[in-house]
Amino acid sequence: MTEARRLSLILAVSFAALAAIFAGPYLLDTYSVNVLTRSLLYAAVALTVDLLWGFLGILTFGQSVFFACGAYAAGLVFTHMDFSTSNAFLALGLGVGGALLVAAIVGWLAFWHGASALYASVITLVLPIVATQLLYSGGTFTGSSSGLSGFMSFDLSMEAWFWLSGSFLVGVTTLAYIFVKSDAGRLLVAVRENEQRCKYLGLDTSRLKILVYLACAAIAAIAGYIYAGYAMVVAPELAGFVFGTELVIWTALGGRGTLLGPVFGALIVDYESAQLAGDYPFVWQLIIGTLFVLVIVAFPRGLLPVVFDLPRKLLGLFRPRVPTPAASVTLSTLDPADTQGVEPGEGPALTVAGVVKRFGSLTVLEGIDFEARAGELVSLVGPNGAGKTTLMRCIADGAERTAGRIAVNGYDIGRKPPEACVALGVGRKFQMANVFETLTVAQCLQIARVRHARPSLWRRAQDLPLPEAAMHVLATTGLDKQLSTPAHLLSHGMKQALELSMVLALEPRVLLLDEPTAGLTKTERMQIGAILIDLAKKQGLCVLLVEHDLDFVREISSRVIVLHQGRIVLDGSVEEVVASELVKQVYAGSGHAGIDHETAPSPHTELPA
Amino acid sequence: MIGQTLDIVTTAAILYAVATGLLLVFGVMKIINFAHGGLMTLGGYAALLTTQAGLNPWLAIPAAALFGGVVGMAIERFVVRPLYNRPLDAILATWGLSIIIGQLITIAFGRGVQFAESPLNGTLDLWGESYSAYRLALVGIAAVLGIGLTALLQGTRLGLETRAVIMNEDLARGLGINSGLVRFLTFTLGSALAGVAGALITPLSSVDPSMGVPWLVNAFMLVLVSGASLVSLLFACLVLGGAQVLVATHFSPVLGGLTIAVLAAIILRIRPQGFARD
Repeated sequence: MTEARRLSLILAVSFAALAAIFAGPYLLDTYSVNVLTRSLLYAAVALTVDLLWGFLGILTFGQSVFFACGAYAAGLVFTHMDFSTSNAFLALGLGVGGALLVAAIVGWLAFWHGASALYASVITLVLPIVATQLLYSGGTFTGSSSGLSGFMSFDLSMEAWFWLSGSFLVGVTTLAYIFVKSDAGRLLVAVRENEQRCKYLGLDTSRLKILVYLACAAIAAIAGYIYAGYAMVVAPELAGFVFGTELVIWTALGGRGTLLGPVFGALIVDYESAQLAGDYPFVWQLIIGTLFVLVIVAFPRGLLPVVFDLPRKLLGLFRPRVPTPAASVTLSTLDPADTQGVEPGEGPALTVAGVVKRFGSLTVLEGIDFEARAGELVSLVGPNGAGKTTLMRCIADGAERTAGRIAVNGYDIGRKPPEACVALGVGRKFQMANVFETLTVAQCLQIARVRHARPSLWRRAQDLPLPEAAMHVLATTGLDKQLSTPAHLLSHGMKQALELSMVLALEPRVLLLDEPTAGLTKTERMQIGAILIDLAKKQGLCVLLVEHDLDFVREISSRVIVLHQGRIVLDGSVEEVVASELVKQVYAGSGHAGIDHETAPSPHTELPA
Repeated sequence: MIGQTLDIVTTAAILYAVATGLLLVFGVMKIINFAHGGLMTLGGYAALLTTQAGLNPWLAIPAAALFGGVVGMAIERFVVRPLYNRPLDAILATWGLSIIIGQLITIAFGRGVQFAESPLNGTLDLWGESYSAYRLALVGIAAVLGIGLTALLQGTRLGLETRAVIMNEDLARGLGINSGLVRFLTFTLGSALAGVAGALITPLSSVDPSMGVPWLVNAFMLVLVSGASLVSLLFACLVLGGAQVLVATHFSPVLGGLTIAVLAAIILRIRPQGFARD
């Protein structure tokens, strides 16, 4: 399916939805129109819960607060000032502005570098509790527990409110749908799947989360504003924890991560609540609660996928389904003139000076000093626990080391987070293959290129230019023939190759590889070895490699650094290291006393002055 | 001054009693039991039934433990166990259970506010201040709970296994510890403690179908700040509970109600491990 056809199909469906909204008041009774107007607005808020929770993985209990922001802005302005066109705009501005301000504060609290998913949820849980208490204590200004009512509002008929709410819902749903299916929208799933990999691909995930959170707050605030205009009453319950969790319940029932599921979930449950709550209030709540627990435990994807899969399966009984080929992406080699990697800086590609790393009282690295130039392939060897991986971590994340200085390409990394280190030219491949399991090979590579090529908010790119080094790895390993295979179906070796090409797509200057050949076959190992030599010699990368296989190290390295108990015990050519008695002792573990006598001076002399 | 100190100490004791069950479950299972509030409500109604039957009000505590424990067993087996690997979903499912418990109680007992008889009435004179005898008794009860749990964790084989599961579940399983059983017993004990907490707070407030919910968030925040340690929980209860009392008396009760949640959120922002040592 071409890109234009895909987008026009989405637009056609949303026009059909608009037509249904337009027909609504002519087909439904007055009571239903009245109730559904509210449900349509609630559904728009449920949509934002789905964007945050279903796509980005942030379980939020606090979207009610942004709805109340918009509603109370209207209520307060229309109560305390007169209703006029200019005041209506003022109220809308205040509502959206207030929601954005609150969202920015919450975002700063909840989405900082290193915050856990649980902590973010906790903050969104505290938010409605604080908001309701503030509304309660607002006295006559906020109307306290009874809220505000009896204010003037837009003079619209009930049908017009229905059409307004319905068009708003269809509008935001269409935009959200186009967004999540676009290249930029895929980033949300990537962050949910593997936030760490995203950071090490140079993406500022905190910023992405805050931006989406702000957009969701604005949508909820507009919905709240329309709600206040039509209901002409606002109450503290709108900001409450109970409404906040109801939104989550509707989203879960409908199906998280489907957008349409939460919309229909909200519409159906809220509408039915209004119908049944009068006659069987407690039983209805009991049914919803039971259904909710059942869905969470047994159908975590929600009910919409279940409903959709059923006719598809029945249809499949009669007509064998032809699998539609996934939208194919064409690879091309990026013109070397267009590469956007960091320019090779003056001096060494990597400088490590006096680096110390302690975990509490345990010293893992001490007095690490070395430099590596572009074109060098340096192997870090040493027994388990020598601090090799820790050293890699310190180079890729400025917050890791306890003391010392690290410069990449001549730039001090300071205390910068991983994504900023990537911007300086660091590329890190993890020990265990670290890719986006649910995404396809092509999609993984696209996300690795996001740093250089800004993804579209509404389209899907058809071609993917990659730097020569990444293309080389893909072609050598045959990954370029499996572009539409989901990453979790790849073999272990293929995953390693995919991660390597993702890191190379970043166009790094300093490549950190943590045991890239672990668990690979002899042939695969030879392939990777040849690629690495090529990267260092031809592309002029500085490659730092952690490796246990000394034969492999001997074949490919231009230099070897031996780490033992957190110190560099030897730094020299391959021949020097192979000939060294010391290295044999380190690996054979024949007494640490010997090492102390032979080379390792006392800590005082080894520490740089 | 003495009155305020007693307020702080008794408030901390109540919070401690309310939060221990949640802490135990969070420590061992790494999930937040949002049914804790519902189980507390259940404990409250157990106390109500006990006193309505004309029994000694002290019997409300074991009755509530029984109610909470039995329901907790069912919850662990049918709801929590399938969600071990989905901690955020476990929060939602247990919240759903909280709704179910609340609605069932409403159907059985009605929505109205009821009162249970207090096991201790009147006041005690302490350093020239006459203070509610029941609130003072709660300090002792909370101390017994804390010491009892510590003894259970430190002094028994089950406690040793539980601590092993808290530290490294995979390793504990590899060493032949039945971590499923440890989780089951922990959840049952945590639920029983929630019931006890519900019975303990009933003489201070009223009994109604949503009585546990306001306590849930505070208990939850205290547990997050404390990590998995009973000692740091005590510290958190004293500091945050004390702050709550001071803010409520000197500024406004509304702000006092927010103090624990807001302070805990800020503490976790600055120091993600909270009051725990590491």
